[in-house]
Amino acid sequence: MSVARALLRSLPAWVLLACAGTATAADAPGALTVAEIAPGDFVHYGKPLPLEAPGHDDIANIGFIVGRRCVAVIDTGGSVRVGRALRRAVAAHTALPVCYVINTHVHVDHVLGNAAFADTPAHFVGHALLADALARSRPFFLATYAADLDAPASTAQIIGPDESVAVGSDRNLDLGERRLTLHAWPKAHTDCDLTVYDVSSGTLWTGDLLFVQRTPALDGSITGWLAAIEALAALPHVRHLVAGHGEVTGEPAAAFTPERVYLSTLLQSVRADLAQGKPLQDALKEPSEAGQSHWLLWDSTHPRNVTRAYQELEWE
Amino acid sequence: MREFSPRTAGALGALLYVLGAAPSPVVADSQAPPGGAWQSLRPQLYGTRPIGEVGDESMSVSGPASTPDPSATPIVVQFGKELAGKVRQVRVIIDNNPSPIATTMSLATGLPVDEIDLRVRIDRFTSVRAISETDSGRLEMRSIWVNASGGCSAPPAATQGGALGQIRFRPSTDGHAVQISIRHPNNSGFQVDPVSGDFIPPHFIAHIKLSAGARVLMEADTGISLSENPTLRFATGEPLPAPLIVEATDLPTQSRFAATWNGAGAAAH
Repeated sequence: MSVARALLRSLPAWVLLACAGTATAADAPGALTVAEIAPGDFVHYGKPLPLEAPGHDDIANIGFIVGRRCVAVIDTGGSVRVGRALRRAVAAHTALPVCYVINTHVHVDHVLGNAAFADTPAHFVGHALLADALARSRPFFLATYAADLDAPASTAQIIGPDESVAVGSDRNLDLGERRLTLHAWPKAHTDCDLTVYDVSSGTLWTGDLLFVQRTPALDGSITGWLAAIEALAALPHVRHLVAGHGEVTGEPAAAFTPERVYLSTLLQSVRADLAQGKPLQDALKEPSEAGQSHWLLWDSTHPRNVTRAYQELEWE
Repeated sequence: MREFSPRTAGALGALLYVLGAAPSPVVADSQAPPGGAWQSLRPQLYGTRPIGEVGDESMSVSGPASTPDPSATPIVVQFGKELAGKVRQVRVIIDNNPSPIATTMSLATGLPVDEIDLRVRIDRFTSVRAISETDSGRLEMRSIWVNASGGCSAPPAATQGGALGQIRFRPSTDGHAVQISIRHPNNSGFQVDPVSGDFIPPHFIAHIKLSAGARVLMEADTGISLSENPTLRFATGEPLPAPLIVEATDLPTQSRFAATWNGAGAAAH
């Protein structure tokens, strides 16, 4: 195994199931800026930056929920620095301990700050497949995002869940007069998406099942994602929505529409390409009817989505 | 999607230099991919035989300048009238991949194949070259550069699932082209099992044969540079013969997979 680890360092990007990105982040300020979007629900909105840009460790929406007894953190950002700044933001709002660190999925911008909570009594909670997804990703994270970990960077800092939620099922967490319902979704944005619903405030934390403004990035299943969107958009009693990226400003019920339109248009166009025997390279050249002007980071994200959708749908 | 070839890059650099608006030659050089396997493969594979560089009208290679998905990059080799039907072997070499020869493909001469598409793993900034050998023994080469960069952060999960060895035919509407996909992890031997921490053994499609009746249209040696679920696509200047039979073998288990396509008008099975 040590031989395997040593060899991993010399392996190329695709072997590590990976893409590239090498920027270092600016130092996070003392405590992250958070907005209390509902009583007890605090959100830090990430910046709309590419994953290669300086500041790329602060692109996801992360935050925390405060109960009577303790606090649940939801995602920890893309670096240990951002995780620490989040922890300071928690401390600035409550003296209660953090009892849960919930990761909504495996992506680097949501999990690399976990190490900032390693010395708390918090349990790390995720989708049943998160542990495997992290295990596959650790070598790539270490090779590509070492500067976002504490020096010397190590895979041990990329902490996985010690508690999990079975696929397709709910799990309740009690923060003291505040019940959170976690749901683990079948393959959608990734293969390990988890949503958090704060029952008392009616706040739904979607993780990356909802992208606002930023082009949705497909890393799981386009059909699964559309099914998850349908189920999430139909949930009753949701008064507030926290997307994985971007800020929801209007009615929660309408917030899923642009993403649903984008993904369903992509689904239809790739299915049509496949029905005509059109090869992938031609599918990539087509302008999308989904309207790129509405989306940030379109040029880097949409072609990958086409590739992923094509590879999924060609087996239908 | 024709891209910057080293040749045009060189010509452009020279032109700019003459015009005095130039990036220095050093800058131009740094834009080329670092040297890869071609220098050592060339004498092994082709000895000292001359290799020509034909124009686009005879043969071209295309792919994205920067691949949106390094795990699945479409590479297209096209033959013009001069070469279609006269190529007996095509090699596709990805210089900077750990296993640079993506495929060595033998083609039946006479069948006017004008396009071959592959889906490949691209490791890092690299030349991708195709070398064709004609029925008269002439060698021709074209190449492009492909950069592998992109922002994803986790292994793709979109390609997983299905039954090992399941084969899918996707004909074009005119029946001149068919895409053949084989459900297979095409494990490189470099991936690590998340549970044990050990390397997952290599397990990949090594050989694909396409035939129509007794006539072999194409035989390809393939390897780990092909993407998961290896996919080939052929286009010809005429309707493909039918039925088509595809037979594939993997290594090291030497499992055999086969399927028949009964033509554009019939259901595939």
